[in-house]
Amino acid sequence: MSGKNAVRTSIRGTAIGFLAGAVSACVSTPPPPPQDQMSRTKVETAPADLQLLCANAVAKASGVDSTKILPVSSSKLDSKTYQVELDASGKKTSCLVDTDGNVKSVEPV
Amino acid sequence: MFAERGTVRRRSLTAIVAAAFGLVAVAALAAGTQVFDPKSHKWVDYDRTKARKYYAAHNEVPEAFRPQMVKFRTAEVPGTIIIDGNQHFLYLVQPGQRAMRYGIGVGREGFGWAGIVRVGRMAEWPTWTPPAEMVARDPKAVKYAGGMEGGPDNPLGARALYLYERDQDTIYRIHGTPEPWTIGLDVSSGCIRMRNDDIVDLASRVKVGAKVIVLMQGAALYKGV
Repeated sequence: MSGKNAVRTSIRGTAIGFLAGAVSACVSTPPPPPQDQMSRTKVETAPADLQLLCANAVAKASGVDSTKILPVSSSKLDSKTYQVELDASGKKTSCLVDTDGNVKSVEPV
Repeated sequence: MFAERGTVRRRSLTAIVAAAFGLVAVAALAAGTQVFDPKSHKWVDYDRTKARKYYAAHNEVPEAFRPQMVKFRTAEVPGTIIIDGNQHFLYLVQPGQRAMRYGIGVGREGFGWAGIVRVGRMAEWPTWTPPAEMVARDPKAVKYAGGMEGGPDNPLGARALYLYERDQDTIYRIHGTPEPWTIGLDVSSGCIRMRNDDIVDLASRVKVGAKVIVLMQGAALYKGV
């Protein structure tokens, strides 16, 4: 092998090494979830505290006794927002709440 | 598991009362539990078979279903119990926007329910009496038709918190279990089951009269709550 070929082989090897490193960096294992989030369900519902913050907001907005208001379903709209449907003494109400616990809106359905 | 000594006799009456309250039989949404596997770094389905294997290998439930203090933003007073039937967690509200969280097993499809009730009474190592329907369909239950004394094999486990709607026994309980691997699953007839150590801990922290909010998407709803 000539000196030129040896240099080419060395450059090629280095390039492949860099490429392999870049690829492995792309597929590196993501960090595990926090200890309190090691389980989930396929159907993602709003966390219980956020559902009840909505129930509290509906009680304030409607004047209905909070013991008569119950979240009945919820879903994730985007990474920061959940929609919660509530039964307030038979009246259906919809609430939007963000992951920081801020109630964005309360509207009758 | 529900219905202990004395409750069976009241069960027909309770059923009528439940109907009067408009208990709508709707199958609870089957959410499908998944747990994070730290070895494979993947979310894996967690069903009864896998749960039993996990418990046999670790003598423990997965980390998510063990008791832990968590952040919990709420206007509910400390001492309130909040049950998230979909995620299989029971929260006991603590001061400072925090809650003690325990793993639970809940009602299987068609047996889930939601509502606002209260702890009517509590019992240590309660007697369990199978409902008449269970005695009729399960030969193993026949010998307990008159009641099974409390003990480590009793389906109600170490403690039972009897849930009441006003002054009426709902027939539902929060109780222990001799089958701790079922925590995290939809397995019961509507009761909330916990590991025996956890129900003992919960019972020691809760007072009779405590408010209990049961959340379960798509489940039967106690009207008028």
